[in-house]
Amino acid sequence: MFLKVQLPWNIIIPAESLESNGLMLQRSMILRLLDDFASKKASKELGYYLAVTTLDKIGEGKVRQNTGDVLFPVRFSGITFKIFRGEIIEGVVHKVLKHGVFLRCGPIENIYLSNMKMPDYRYVPGEDPEFMNNKLSKIKKDVVVRVIVLGTKWLEAEREFQALVSLEGDYLGPVS
Amino acid sequence: MSGEEEENAAELKIGDEFLKAKCLMNCEVALILEHKYEQLQQTSEDPLNQISQVFEKSLQYVKRFSRYKNPDAVRQVREVLSRYQLAEFELCVLGNLCPETAEEAMAMVPSITTKGRFQDDYAIDKMLNDLSMIKKFE
Repeated sequence: MFLKVQLPWNIIIPAESLESNGLMLQRSMILRLLDDFASKKASKELGYYLAVTTLDKIGEGKVRQNTGDVLFPVRFSGITFKIFRGEIIEGVVHKVLKHGVFLRCGPIENIYLSNMKMPDYRYVPGEDPEFMNNKLSKIKKDVVVRVIVLGTKWLEAEREFQALVSLEGDYLGPVS
Repeated sequence: MSGEEEENAAELKIGDEFLKAKCLMNCEVALILEHKYEQLQQTSEDPLNQISQVFEKSLQYVKRFSRYKNPDAVRQVREVLSRYQLAEFELCVLGNLCPETAEEAMAMVPSITTKGRFQDDYAIDKMLNDLSMIKKFE
């Protein structure tokens, strides 16, 4: 689910890029914020960081003693993406393995649908391998599948989420 | 797996901060990100560098998974769904998946049958019908 969030943040402006012109200062703050935001990628609490929408409040700047840089506490609004256990999502298959498939949903690449969680589907090997059930419904590369999220896991080192999903439920499966 | 054992979106247990947070439908995110993308192309000296992978993948995703493309239709979808006392999360799941029948809607958002918001399947069907009308006249 995409979320609209408001976040407090600290922006540090190096002394050399401080301008007396207020507009330029605001510009360098926004650029710095966009940079920081993009490089942070994601957090366990809020999910993936997509975009900054507005800069809502700029606090009083504080000069840092050793470097002369100025730190501004700010508050801004932005969009994040997080998936929840029990949520129903639609993903696109991007990898087919013998024991299951990987889906992509928004910025998340590692969403695993195990063969054990789609019991009526059977693996069909070949150049373009796929899973097929006896109603000839197919799960293969680039197919959209509607699934339920069984669990999510945050990987601190990679700053990424992984998820396990299932087809066990009503109205789940490949979407034509 | 997930830290909070209690989390279960099917019962609308997604943590207080998210329940109150505003959720966005795929079609709304598509409008915002597309606008943002154009802005970056115009203002930045080095647009490609300003666009993160997360941004790019999300934009691709929402473009593919937006049921409504027209900004007016997007606004109407939120307006129509807002009349039914739905939580933000429920509203967006319905707007994203566009179930066709009451039965499907209840499978996608099991929590909508709670709190007596819909007296019967017929009431849910009426809401879905309103949604499909927007799509038809988009």
